[in-house]
Formats: sequence, structure tokens, C-alpha cells
Amino acid sequence: MSSNMREGMVYVTTADERIVHWLLAGSCLFALFTGLGLMFHSFTFIPAMLGGHYAMKWMHIFSGVVFSFSLLAASIFWWKHVKFVPDDVKWVQQAGGYLWEAHNLPPAGMYNAGQKMFFWAVFIFGILIIATGIVMFDPTLFPVVVSRFAYMLHALAVVVIASFFVIHLYLGTFGNPGTVQIMFHGYATREYCEAHKGKWLAEKEGKGGEEA
Amino acid sequence: MTNHWNDIQHADVVLIMGSNAAENHPISFKWVNEARAKRGAKLITVDPRFTRTSAVSDITARLRSGTDIAFMGGMINYAIEKNRINWDYVRDYTDGTYLVNPDFRGPVDLDGLYSGLDGSKYDKATWSYQVDEAGLPKRDLTMQDPNCVFQLLKKHYARYTVKKVCGLTGTDPKDFEAVCDTFTSTYLPEKSGTVMYAMGTTQHTYGSQNVRAFAVMQLLLGNIGVAGGGINALRGESNVQGSTDHGALFHILTGYLKTPNAKQPNLVKYNEDNTPKSNDPQSLNWWGNTPKYMASLLKAWWRDADLETAYSYMPKLDAGKNYSYLPIWSEMAKGKIKGMFVWGMNPAVGAPSSRMVRRALAKLDWMVAVDLWETETSAFWQTDAGVDPSTINTEVFLLPAAASMEKEGSVSNSGRWAQWRYKAVNAPGHAEDDLWIMNQLVNLTKDLYKKEGGAFPDPILNLTWNYGPVGLDGKVHNPSPREVAKEINGYFVTDKEIEDKVTGEVKKFKAGDMVPGFPLLQDDGSTCCGCWVYCNSVDDKENKMMKRDTSDPTGLGFYHNWSWAWPMNRRVVYNRASVDAEGKPFAKDKPVIWWSGLKKAWLGDVPDGGGGPGAKHPFIMVPHGRGMLFAAGMTDGPFPEHYEPLESQVKNTMSASQVNPALARWDKKVKEEVCDPMLVEGCAAVTYGSEFAKDFPIICSTYRVVEHWQTGQMTRWIPWLTELVPDQFVELSEELAKEKGIMSGDLLRITSVRNLEGITAYAYVTKRLKPFNINGKTIHQVGMTWHFGYKGLVTGGNANDLTPFIGDSNTMIPEYKAFLVNIERVRR
Amino acid sequence: MAEFVKLIDVSKCTGCRGCQVACKNWNELPAEKTSFLGSRSLQNPPELSYNTWTLIRFDEVNSEDGKLKWVMRHDACLHCETPACAKACPSPGALVKTAEGAVVHDPKYCIGCKACISACPFNIPRNSAAEEKMAKCSLCYDRITNGKKPACVTACPTGCLDFGYKDDMIAKAHKKAEASKGAIYPDNHSYGTNVLYVMPAGVKLTDLQNVNPKPGMPTTILWWKNLFKPFTLIGMGAVAGFAALHYFIKGPHLVEKKKEGGE
Repeated sequence: MSSNMREGMVYVTTADERIVHWLLAGSCLFALFTGLGLMFHSFTFIPAMLGGHYAMKWMHIFSGVVFSFSLLAASIFWWKHVKFVPDDVKWVQQAGGYLWEAHNLPPAGMYNAGQKMFFWAVFIFGILIIATGIVMFDPTLFPVVVSRFAYMLHALAVVVIASFFVIHLYLGTFGNPGTVQIMFHGYATREYCEAHKGKWLAEKEGKGGEEA
Repeated sequence: MTNHWNDIQHADVVLIMGSNAAENHPISFKWVNEARAKRGAKLITVDPRFTRTSAVSDITARLRSGTDIAFMGGMINYAIEKNRINWDYVRDYTDGTYLVNPDFRGPVDLDGLYSGLDGSKYDKATWSYQVDEAGLPKRDLTMQDPNCVFQLLKKHYARYTVKKVCGLTGTDPKDFEAVCDTFTSTYLPEKSGTVMYAMGTTQHTYGSQNVRAFAVMQLLLGNIGVAGGGINALRGESNVQGSTDHGALFHILTGYLKTPNAKQPNLVKYNEDNTPKSNDPQSLNWWGNTPKYMASLLKAWWRDADLETAYSYMPKLDAGKNYSYLPIWSEMAKGKIKGMFVWGMNPAVGAPSSRMVRRALAKLDWMVAVDLWETETSAFWQTDAGVDPSTINTEVFLLPAAASMEKEGSVSNSGRWAQWRYKAVNAPGHAEDDLWIMNQLVNLTKDLYKKEGGAFPDPILNLTWNYGPVGLDGKVHNPSPREVAKEINGYFVTDKEIEDKVTGEVKKFKAGDMVPGFPLLQDDGSTCCGCWVYCNSVDDKENKMMKRDTSDPTGLGFYHNWSWAWPMNRRVVYNRASVDAEGKPFAKDKPVIWWSGLKKAWLGDVPDGGGGPGAKHPFIMVPHGRGMLFAAGMTDGPFPEHYEPLESQVKNTMSASQVNPALARWDKKVKEEVCDPMLVEGCAAVTYGSEFAKDFPIICSTYRVVEHWQTGQMTRWIPWLTELVPDQFVELSEELAKEKGIMSGDLLRITSVRNLEGITAYAYVTKRLKPFNINGKTIHQVGMTWHFGYKGLVTGGNANDLTPFIGDSNTMIPEYKAFLVNIERVRR
Repeated sequence: MAEFVKLIDVSKCTGCRGCQVACKNWNELPAEKTSFLGSRSLQNPPELSYNTWTLIRFDEVNSEDGKLKWVMRHDACLHCETPACAKACPSPGALVKTAEGAVVHDPKYCIGCKACISACPFNIPRNSAAEEKMAKCSLCYDRITNGKKPACVTACPTGCLDFGYKDDMIAKAHKKAEASKGAIYPDNHSYGTNVLYVMPAGVKLTDLQNVNPKPGMPTTILWWKNLFKPFTLIGMGAVAGFAALHYFIKGPHLVEKKKEGGE
């Protein structure tokens, strides 16, 4: 009996993963928040809350640093779960059953194709936003063409990440009740896991171990 | 300047030669540009380098340093050949018509020499005009007589062909002809061309003759006395005009009166020697007034002494002895000078062969330096100067002085405007203004003489010193420059009635009344005047130097009520040469003066001399009243003749006389005297064909940049200026750099025969210098500033550690512009 | 308040650098420690900097007629009509285009992010790492709003620098350019500046330092500010709206209670 075992529940994520997830989410959200404050002069409430633009500049930079390391850690944790498999095609063809009735959705692994896509979006545009952020930290060190593209691509990455962020927020909470707690305490119901992570559950239990 | 700064706007052609006006007189370009914008004037620059002035010029021509006379001679020849001569002007206003002594011989006949050479001095007996029974010069109005000045001039310059000239100067013949064509186009009476020159012209062993060449050219073209014409010396610093006006040179007193010498034991003899005579009633012969000016000066200095006694107080020169800048150092090196005041000067950087000069300073017992900062001169004994202080016994006193903004007084600019300046801020610390320091010195010196007697106390004890309120101790403690200005203008010391010779009107003056103008100065001791050319600058009501009225009723830019110009507030001197015999201006669109038949008066500028149109000859300072194409007063010939610089790699192809024959050769003299080895080394020179000539193949010129002033003694302490030009550099051509494997930024060593250790400077490889093709031989020229020394926020190699100890044969101004060096790379 | 233009007639510049010193003088900018090795020419300080807002650039070039030209160009902020620097600036008030035409920087609001530096089409703004601020020419805003000309213009002895009402100066620029056959720079009808140059005739712009032959608002800034910036909000809003719709229409994705079916 593992202490991780609860009645009718499956232990899905480790504490490490949960911490990294929230660091990633928090830093991303904070960077977005401060970034919006820097981008939109009309959002005066943001600098007002955070002590002005100068403070915000450094908050944005530091949240970026946290985001970078969290993204690195998250990628290491989830790398094995986010590789696309042939079944993902079927999932995508039916939009995961979110938009119309889906039949014979193949059982997903740890993450379904949508979640994988979200990861890759965050990963690719995260790398982009970090790289351009580094350039923007001191644009004078780079050729002016590079610097100018950095500012533009940083903004482009924001559009993508921010939009995906909203989808993730919705699907992780209202859209899929029972999901968000996985990132709180690590447990999901067995039913939830069968429905969302059938293949992963089967593999996990097929291995015989009850340990995660 | 015969004209003034604003007047440049009236020029049709501006020739800048021997000057880098854009850099060293930036404000002049306001008026050069005005002339270009309003009159479509053309700007010509002739310079060894492509300077910041060249950069904005319409026509640029290069010439090898020191070949100005060849260039100008070629231009004179061009003007004569193309008949670009203002014939009426030459006939009426110059000595071109005068017949010269038939015994006179010139370089044409004597292979580069004039008749009468004895050693290095000319006996000028044959350099004279033929005179008629009335004592007037004989004239040939057709100017065809082979002995008339014009024909002699024509014969002299006929040798200056384009080929010969360009062979010597290295100028592209196309550029040369473009310059000649453009400048001589001003021979038309309604056109005028101006010459702007500076030390590139004067600092040669024939510097005065360089200026003379301009004078000859301008007289032939009829460009003197007219608006937008003249020969305009751009003075090297803001008040150097004032310093010469007020006699800060050994050979002149104030107002260019000659310094008395030992052969003139009394005033009668002095006046006899220095008062030229003219039998021509039309010649004003202004120097005929010398006795009045000298008497007034003596009265200014010794108010209570009679004139002869006062004259006896005045120091006299040993007759024929030269006390100019160069001999000071050679005499000091010989240990003959014991003490020295260095007042706002920095000879440790600025003097030629300045390494020798610094060594000579160590022979002084004492030195008093008056300056804003500790200069290289007052620090000549420090380790910074590369010497061991324990070996130097000179006692140095440094008196901190006030800068120009920290004191009141007048400043005379190149255009002869004396402008009053007020004190803006207090001087820092114990710094005091010059007048205050001088006043203290006078008081203390008088006290010492009173106490100790001394050899000849009277001149000091009786010296009139009344420039401020007298304290209870009988001394002045707070002298005022305004009081000095009054004395410079002059006032009546006794009541005097003066009858006007023309109108018969009697004017009554009381003691203390200001003299209204120098025509009223007296030779009987009833007036005092510190500097006669400044008489009229202060009247009973006001100090005219303080005037700041910008009105210009004629629209010609005279600004008669803005400050005051000597003489008599005249803005263009010799302005009677701008009108014909009827008083009508040659140039109708830019008259200087014109005669109003209605008012029976001259209008416009203050006219030169009295009388109506045609009454007087225009050149009032010349005894015969006409402009001198033939100047017998020069030591080295009445016509400018090309010679090579003392240090030259080029054989003079104009004649067999390689260098100026009237040159005072220090290098030889010192060797003959077997002096101190440092003097022999410091005076050495690499003459053409001498054994060291191959070791020093490159011509070097020194010059200034706009960012620094002179020796840098003021600017190298100003961070905003030192950031602009922080280091000494040598400008050299890409061709020379390639030959020597030098890149911009390499540290170079530059050596001359006077300084084998050399100085270091960064290489500045530039397209703006090019090698010269001199009669088929490639000659390289480099250049460097003389702004650097070992004191200040930035320091660097001192170019004058290399310059030759030789001067112009007339003025002794040192040759800073053409000497030989070698360069080598120290490190990349 | 009237709009002003500074007009620079490059062919009249004698490189005296009176403007460069006057700029430091009026704006109380400290001197820099320089060396000949900075530019290996007279150009010093070698570049514009936080403490050097005006710089005379020296270029030795061969003109079209093969003659040597020594071009000395007064380089400072061109005060764009729609300044890219201000558009890129995240901190309101740090860079402001004023009615007089000046693009004024206010160190009080500057956060030292350096966004303006790469945004500038003319490579003008400079920053100080120690101060964490940018700085550049302000067209002497404090002078021009008090009836004076900028310090550089006042100091210029040759008439190279001129300053006056916009329309007058534009007319003057065209007159000068016509007379001298020189080009007006910047020459871009869709991108105006409140500083204009009349370049010397026969000199190629590309031969000169720090000259942008085709100046304009950088395209990347247009994409960034006019497209991606609004799309950040539009994207988030659209996605959020879509999610809400999805919730209302489809409801949450509930997992079937399998226990009912028994295991």
C-alpha cells in the first residue's frame, strides 16, 4: 500500500510535476499580466498595482526567467508523454469530441492529442518568447534586424500563448470537471482516468505496479 | 585686416591661402557664406592639405609648403599676360608709374638676388625711385619705360610660368589655372576679391614677402580699399591685434611708433630719423605726424617731465640689435638673461625648437608665470617635463590670473574693432586680473626704488600711474581699465587753443578734455595719448568701445555705432582707393565711401584723410601716397621672389639662390660662436643637399585645429574640448602610409635633426594629403598640430620640439610651416 | 504652438563642432574620456552616446565627379513625425512627440528597456547601463518653448544649421537643394521628420556613416504594434468567448459514472 493510494482514485501527477506546473502557469500569467501592462499604455491599473513601469520591467524580466526554467523542467517531466502517436490523428479528426459527438475515440495516453498540442504550442512559442526576450533584454548586443524581429516575434508568441492559455484554463476547469485537482493534489478519479487517460492507466496497471 | 570681418560678404572671390579659416576662424565663414549666397562668390582654397576649409570650397589647389611666392608670382604673371589689370587703379593709386633708380638690379639680372647684397644684408641704396627737381618721384603714365615699377615687375614675374611654378609647388596645372582665372577676374572695377591669410603665409623665412605677394596682386587688380577686397590677416588669437597695436613687440611702441635706439640720444634726433618727408602736397604722408604722437606718448608715461627728459627715460635698443622672439631664447641659452615674466605665454610648447627653449629656461634665476593654469612653461622644471627637478635652480613663481570672462577691458579683433568686454564672473580663488597684478608690481617696484635708489630710479619713480583712486598711502590699489582707456585715447594736459588750418576756426580745450581724434594731438606736450591709433575711442561722454548699436543705415555692414574701430572708427582702410577722382565708387553696388556734391561731404565709411575727391592720394601711410608694388622697406627685396625654405628637399629652379639671402642663419651663427652644445643642436638645420638630407626626407608643417587653442594651455584643461581632440596625431597620405607600412592608429615617432629622440603621435592616414610631384620627384608632406605638451587633462608629443630655430628676415616670425622630418612606426 | 523644423545644410558645415560642444554645454552633459584610437579620425567621441547627443561625423568620400569630398555631418535626433521610438516605448511619457515637433524624452518615465534604440530608423537613441536610461537630442525643447533656437543652431557660425517654422524651413530646404543640386534627406513622402538635411551634391548617401537612404517606420514595429498587440486581446477574448459558448451549448465534459455499469 502506497501512501499515494486513495480509495477509487488514481495518483496521476507527482509533487514535482505539480510544482513545476504551477510555476510555469504562474510565471506565464504574471509575465502576461506585466507584459500587457507594458504593451498597453491604457492599462494604467497594472503599473498602478505593481509600482510603476520600471518595477514592472524587472518583474516581467524575472517572471520570464522563472518561466524559462519551469518550461525546461516541465519539458523534461512531460517529454515522454507528449510525443504524438497514430491514435492522435483520430483524436484530432474528431476534435476530441469537444465540438460534436465523437465515436470510437481511441483511448489517450497520459495526455490526449489536444493536450499535447497545447504543450507543443507552449513549448515552441515559449522558446520563441524566451529567445526574443533575451534579445530584448539588451537589443544593443544584436544586429538591429535581429532586435527588431525579436520585438515583433515576442508579440506574436504572446498572441499564441495567451490564446492557448485561455483554452487550457477553460478545459482544465469548467470544460472538464475533475481535471484541475490533478494539479492540486495529484489524484483523479478512476473513471476520469479511464475516460481521459485510458491507455496510460492500462499501461500503468498492466505493469502491475500500483505505484505511480 | 585692411577690411573687416563683415566686409567679406561683399567679395566676389575669396582666396583663402595660408589660412585654414574654417577651422581657426570659424566665424569668418558666416561672411564667406553670405558672399556666396548673396553675390554668388567663389571660394578658393590653396593649401598643402585638404582642410576643413577646402571641404567647403568651390576651387581647391594644393601647393607644397613654402612655395606661396612661386604660386602668387605665377598668378601675377597670369594677370599681366591676360591683361587682367585694373589699369586706372595701377596708374593713379600705385607706384607702377614711378621710375626706379637705373642702377637697381633684381633677380632677373642677378640670379635670384637684388643689387646691394653684402653678406646677409642688403645695402638698399639702389632700391629707390628717381625724383624730379620738386622732389617728387618721376612717373611714366604710360608705364612703358623699362625702368618704371610696372615694367620691372612684369619682367620679374615673366619667369613665373605655369610650368615652372607648378614644377615647384606641385600644383595640378589645371587647378592652378582655375585659381588664376577665377581670382584675376576681379580686376574689373566693379568686382572685388579678398585674400584671407594667417600663419600659413607668415610663418616662413620669407613670410613677409608672402604677404607682399598678396599686396602686389591686389594692387594690380585694384582690390585694396574697396568693399569685399583687401588683404586680411586673420589674427591668431582674439586680442593679438590689440597686443601689436599697443606695442607688445620689441621694435615698436604703441601705435606702431618705432622703438628709440641708442643712436637716437634725444627726441630731436628720434623725430628726425622717424619722420618721413614728402614734397607732394597731395600726399598726406601720415607718418609725418610722428613727433605729435611720440610727444603725446611721452606725456602719457611721464606726465610731469618735459619731453626731452621723458624721452631720456625711455629705454633704447642697441642700434641694429634684434630683440625678437628667437634671440630671447638664444641669449637665455647663453646665460645672458637672468629673469623672465611669462605672461599668458607658453614658450615651452610654442617656441620653435622648444626642447632647446625648455633647457634654456633652466638658465634663469627666476621666472614669474602669470596664467590660468600651470603651463608647460611654468612646469618646465618638473619630472613631467622629463627633467630631474633637483638639477634646476630656477625659482618659479606662478601668479594665478583671471580669464577673459573674469575681467573687464577691451579686445581688438582682426578687423581693428576695439570692443569693450565686461566682467561676467569673479575669478576663482586668488586669481586676479592682469591690470591688478601689474598695478601691484608697479607699486612694489616704486617702493623698492624709493627705498634702495638703484642705478636709474627716475623713470620708475616718475612714471605716471593714475588708473584709479589714490589711497592714503599715495598709491592706486584698485586700478580701472576704464581709466587706462582714457589715457590710451589721450587728453589735454594743459589748456589749449587749436586753430583749424582749413576753416580758421579756433577750438578751445581745457586740461582733462579728451582729445577728439589724433589730428588734434600736439607735439608741444599739451596732449597725452597712450596709443595714437586709438585716439577717438573715448570722448568726454562715453567710451565708444562700449557701443552696441546694431543699426546699419547704409546697409553695407559698417556698423559704425557698434564698438569702435581704429583709426577714427574707419572700417575699411585706404578707402579713398575705392573711388575715382570724382569721388564716384568703382563698385556701385557696394560703395565704401562716396562724395556728395550736394552736402560737399564724404558719405559712407569714415574717409581716409581730409579733402574732397582727388585731393589726396589714397595710401596715406606711405610717404608718397600710392600703393607700393615696389617696397624698398623690405630687408629682402622690393619684389617678392621665390626661395626655398631653409630645410628643403627641392632645388630652387627659379634661381641659383636656394634660400632667402637676407636670412639670419642661427644654425651657422651659433656654430661660429661655439656655444653650448644644446644650442648647436637646437639651432641645427638640414639644408638642401647637406649630409643629413637623406635622413629627413619628409616635409612637415605644424598647424592648429579648431578644437584647441595655440599651445593648448587653455583648451587642454577643458574636458569638452579634450574629448574632441584627445591625442596628438600626424596626418599622412595613403601613399606614404603604404610606402612605410603604416596604418591609421599606429604610434609613430617623428624626428628632426634638432630632436633625434623625436616625439610620438598617432598616425592619421587620410586621403586629404597627397604626395607632391615636384619637377618629377615625389615629395611627401605630413602635418601635425602644435597643441600638445605634458600638462593638462590630455598630453601628447610637442610638435615644436622638432621645428627649426629660424625666422623671417623681416619680422623674425619663426618658420613653423616647412621643415624636414622622418617618421617611423613605434608600434601598431 | 507652431511646429518647427531644424534644417541642416551639410555643404556649409566646416566641422568646427561648435554645435557638439554647445549641446553638451546647454544640456550639461559630461565629457567622455576619448582617444584618437576611437575613430582614428577627427570624429570624437567616436559615436553618439548617452552623454553625446550631437556628433559631427567625418567622412572622406570620392564624389561622383571623382573629386575628394570631406563630408562633415551634424548627426542628432531627426524628430520623426511619427516616431518609431515613441511607438516602441512601453512607458507612457518617456518619449513624447510634442506639438512643436520635438520628440522629447523624459528620464523620469524612462525605464531603460532600450526598445527605442532598435526601433529608431536613424540609430540615434543611446542608453546608459549605469543610469538605466536612454538619452538623445530633445531639439532643446526647453529652449524652443521659450522663444530660443536650439543650442546647436545658436552656436553654428556658418549658417549650416537653421531653425524655424516648419513651412518656411521646408521651402528653404527645397530652394537650397535646387540651387546646390544636393538631395534632401530624409527623402520619404510617407515618413516625415522635423529635421531636414540638404546633402552636398555628388555624394552618395550610402558612402556616409549612419545614414538611412530609405528611412521609415520599421515594418516589424507595424506588425508588432498594429497587428499582434491588438490580437493579444482579440485572441484571448475570442478564445474566452468561444469557451463560454462551448460551455453554454455543450456543457462540461462529464465522465460517465462507470460504477453504475458495475465492474
